[in-house]
Amino acid sequence: MLLSESARVTTAQESRFRIHYPNSKPRAVKVIALDPASAALIDEVAKLNWNGAAFFKSLSFESTPGQTVKGWLNDIAGHTSDLASEVAQADCVVVIAGAGEDAQSVPLIAELCNEHHKTLVALIVPQDGADDHSVDVSLKALRPYAKMLVIAHGRDYVEAMLAALRA
Amino acid sequence: MLKKEQNELVTQTGPGTPMGDLFRCSWQPILLSEELPENDCPPVRVKVLSERLVAFRDSEGKLGLIDEFCAHRGVSLWFGRNEECGLRCPYHGWKFDTTGQCVEVPSEPAESGYANKIKLKSYPLIEKGGVLWTYMGAPERQPAEPEWEFCNVPLNQSFTTKRLQENNWLQAMEGGIDSSHVSFLHRGDLNNDPLFKGAAGNKYNLADSKPVFEVVEAPGGLFIGARRNAENGSYYWRITPWVMPSFTMVPPRGDHPIHGHFWVPIDDENCTAWSFDYHPVRPLSDAERNAMKDGKGIHVKYVPGTYRPLANKDNDYLMNREAQKAGRTFSGVEGIGMQDASLQESMGPICDRTKENLVGTDNGIIMARHRLMRAAKALREKGVLPPGLTAEDQKVRSAAVILPPDQHYKDAAREALIAKPGVKQASV
Repeated sequence: MLLSESARVTTAQESRFRIHYPNSKPRAVKVIALDPASAALIDEVAKLNWNGAAFFKSLSFESTPGQTVKGWLNDIAGHTSDLASEVAQADCVVVIAGAGEDAQSVPLIAELCNEHHKTLVALIVPQDGADDHSVDVSLKALRPYAKMLVIAHGRDYVEAMLAALRA
Repeated sequence: MLKKEQNELVTQTGPGTPMGDLFRCSWQPILLSEELPENDCPPVRVKVLSERLVAFRDSEGKLGLIDEFCAHRGVSLWFGRNEECGLRCPYHGWKFDTTGQCVEVPSEPAESGYANKIKLKSYPLIEKGGVLWTYMGAPERQPAEPEWEFCNVPLNQSFTTKRLQENNWLQAMEGGIDSSHVSFLHRGDLNNDPLFKGAAGNKYNLADSKPVFEVVEAPGGLFIGARRNAENGSYYWRITPWVMPSFTMVPPRGDHPIHGHFWVPIDDENCTAWSFDYHPVRPLSDAERNAMKDGKGIHVKYVPGTYRPLANKDNDYLMNREAQKAGRTFSGVEGIGMQDASLQESMGPICDRTKENLVGTDNGIIMARHRLMRAAKALREKGVLPPGLTAEDQKVRSAAVILPPDQHYKDAAREALIAKPGVKQASV
């Protein structure tokens, strides 16, 4: 048996022969702030270079005549887009919430994620001085909906996570 | 993914590297007590954090860990004679004590004081819980002795092994905090391995291969909670602690012993995977101990006379395609420990993380890397000691619990995540 046909190929020398072609295409990551504090954070994060990540600072709703609720997103440039369309086009949806802030929009986002089979990741970024109770409130609000729920202390982790996801 | 320079930062642990400095802030397990079983026993070569050393137990039982090479002509002191409170180089008879101090240069008059001016680099070596630990950092910053629960319970309640893993420490450690792989890679063992089977919680693992995760920072590192559905709307939580830089524990199953790992760099392309089992409140049974010796659970069988696994890269890990096809093992490799190690070694000696495509559920790994980089930078630039050094940081446990849906595991299982003498582990 040749070396390259066995597990012994996992040497540094053999690693030189690993092929170097792209193994993925860019993915669409949609980052949605759920409250004003998170919107301010997103404003700063969005200034970095990203691989097509879209950042949305606010979310509004309207009830249609058939009593269905429609969501509208506002991006950092002030453009408005349809929440359902954005979720449908996403590969991953990330929502960012301050501790204890209003997270009433999450059920609708999660419903759309379920409908379109998208993963919903939720980051709670406690503001300076936020207490455990506030964090707990956010955890309870987000837990039923998020596939991954993270308490992230600081903007640097939001940036690190999005970079790790190639957002 | 990580950038190339980030990957180098977190994987390189030799002298003078930021991550090497971070490892040198804490006690590292390097040898089993059985490797230096008695006074004046043969010395043992040790390579740790890319430094080649030799360990010995002198005539009075003192432990020494010193530069492997004689200060005279560079001979390996592994060939040395361990006699009369020192390790004597067999080439010209120079002799060194456990602190590395040269105590005899036979060619020079003893009265000349020549030997006093020769001293090999040495590190403290202590024995705790059947393990020999060293601290390789600045003497003025030496922390208190390790307080991990597994090395503080009576020896009849614990079983610790080590094995060579032929890849960088970080990809091995990351396997320890990657709870989502259990439902795939180890699914064949949950109902078969004597150290796993029979636990009520196994059914939740097997029924739900897509757990939901919550990651929270802890004083010493992280808690990673993996949540699966249980009965009546409640959740089955498996909570994994990670303490910086490389301590992880596996959530328990039933009344089986708890287990976990240390991942200690040998050099940048090899590490020692330490695997420990212990029960907080009772001695291990003969059956449990025999199973561990037989390579069950997280332990492995060895190439006789070594700490290299019997299933290794030179024999394709004894791959059994029939077992894989029949579902007895998911990867075709036998044993939980080698199932992990074989795949981690297959990544190459240092995983190229620039090629990764992580997903949202990899946040535990992402945050661990982030904290490591942040801590290494703070240590390098501001002299801030990293987390994981205090007794409070180290007295952690993994836990498996069933909780109502509105309860945060870190609060509801707060007591279960603290190691307390005489208190049984929280397990399902």
